[in-house]
Amino acid sequence: MALRARPATALLPFRAGSAAFLSSSSADRAMTMKSPATIPGNPGTPPPMKVARREVPLPSQEGKKGAMQYALTTLDQVANWARQSSLWPMTFGLACCAIEMMHLSTPRYDQDRLGIIFRASPRQSDVMIVAGTLTNKMAPALRQVYDQMPEPRWVISMGSCANGGGYYHYSYSVTRGCDRIVPVDIYVPGCPPTAEALMYGIFQLQKKMRHTKITRMWYRK
Amino acid sequence: MSTLMRTLRNLRRVGLKEYAHQMANIGDTKAGTMIGMDKYGNKFFENLTEELPLRTRWVDYKDHEFDPSQIEPGWHAWMSYMVDKSPAEDKLLQRQVRVWEPKEHRPTLTWSRSGYKPYSTVKSKLSAWTPVVKPRQ
Repeated sequence: MALRARPATALLPFRAGSAAFLSSSSADRAMTMKSPATIPGNPGTPPPMKVARREVPLPSQEGKKGAMQYALTTLDQVANWARQSSLWPMTFGLACCAIEMMHLSTPRYDQDRLGIIFRASPRQSDVMIVAGTLTNKMAPALRQVYDQMPEPRWVISMGSCANGGGYYHYSYSVTRGCDRIVPVDIYVPGCPPTAEALMYGIFQLQKKMRHTKITRMWYRK
Repeated sequence: MSTLMRTLRNLRRVGLKEYAHQMANIGDTKAGTMIGMDKYGNKFFENLTEELPLRTRWVDYKDHEFDPSQIEPGWHAWMSYMVDKSPAEDKLLQRQVRVWEPKEHRPTLTWSRSGYKPYSTVKSKLSAWTPVVKPRQ
């Protein structure tokens, strides 16, 4: 009996204290914190990613209103057709992906039938295919070549090394993705991607070009 | 690449309407036997005798905004010369769908409303705070 009573008396003040601590902290939590996992003092949770859904029509879903829009849409179609059917890539072959990029130009996946001619000069090219591992040492050169390309210009990131570092993601000398250096339109996954995959990426880029509103955006301004 | 005689010969076979349709889509005039149609509505043709190698099988897409990923896997195998017979006839392609397999084929959804959009799951490096003024003593 005595044995049992003593621990109970010993525990009682402790329990009261802990209960008081709990109640005060829960009052604080109700005021400041939203998530129970957040510790006060630490940076809060990021803003919620799911905001209220806003439906914006895709460029392909927008209708045409008025004669002006019809005329400009036709102009856009002509310009987009010219752009997508003579795509001159700046070859930025850095590693093994460049071999697959060369396969695209050979007779099996004959790229000339799509109007694609590799240019060695950035001043005459429309699209840059970053094929291979982009190292930190090469990154300024990549940016410089990109800056030398005339508008409009596009970038295809080919292979997992160019997409996000890939196999060399944890290397000290490799840029973790060429989208840290240049804005990328198309990411082609694979290590290395087949020539078919690169060609499919080019088709996706052509699809993006088809839905670009050139004069319509100018008219909106 | 086509010769004038081949174009005229194929035009006589397929007719003017099909000729215009082919010029609008594949940019060539081809005549062949229709092998089949997949669930989406793409039509598949074959002409093994007269066409050049690797151009003997072709597809007439249902959509004008076509995409190679609209071809179903079985037909893709047929189109890329992995199998000889169409998936309707090939014994190897007539298997049951496993539980983990998707029930129906889905094309690439890039540039559509259901396209993949990445978002960051990393905790934000910046955090706002409300400064509390200590009362003057």
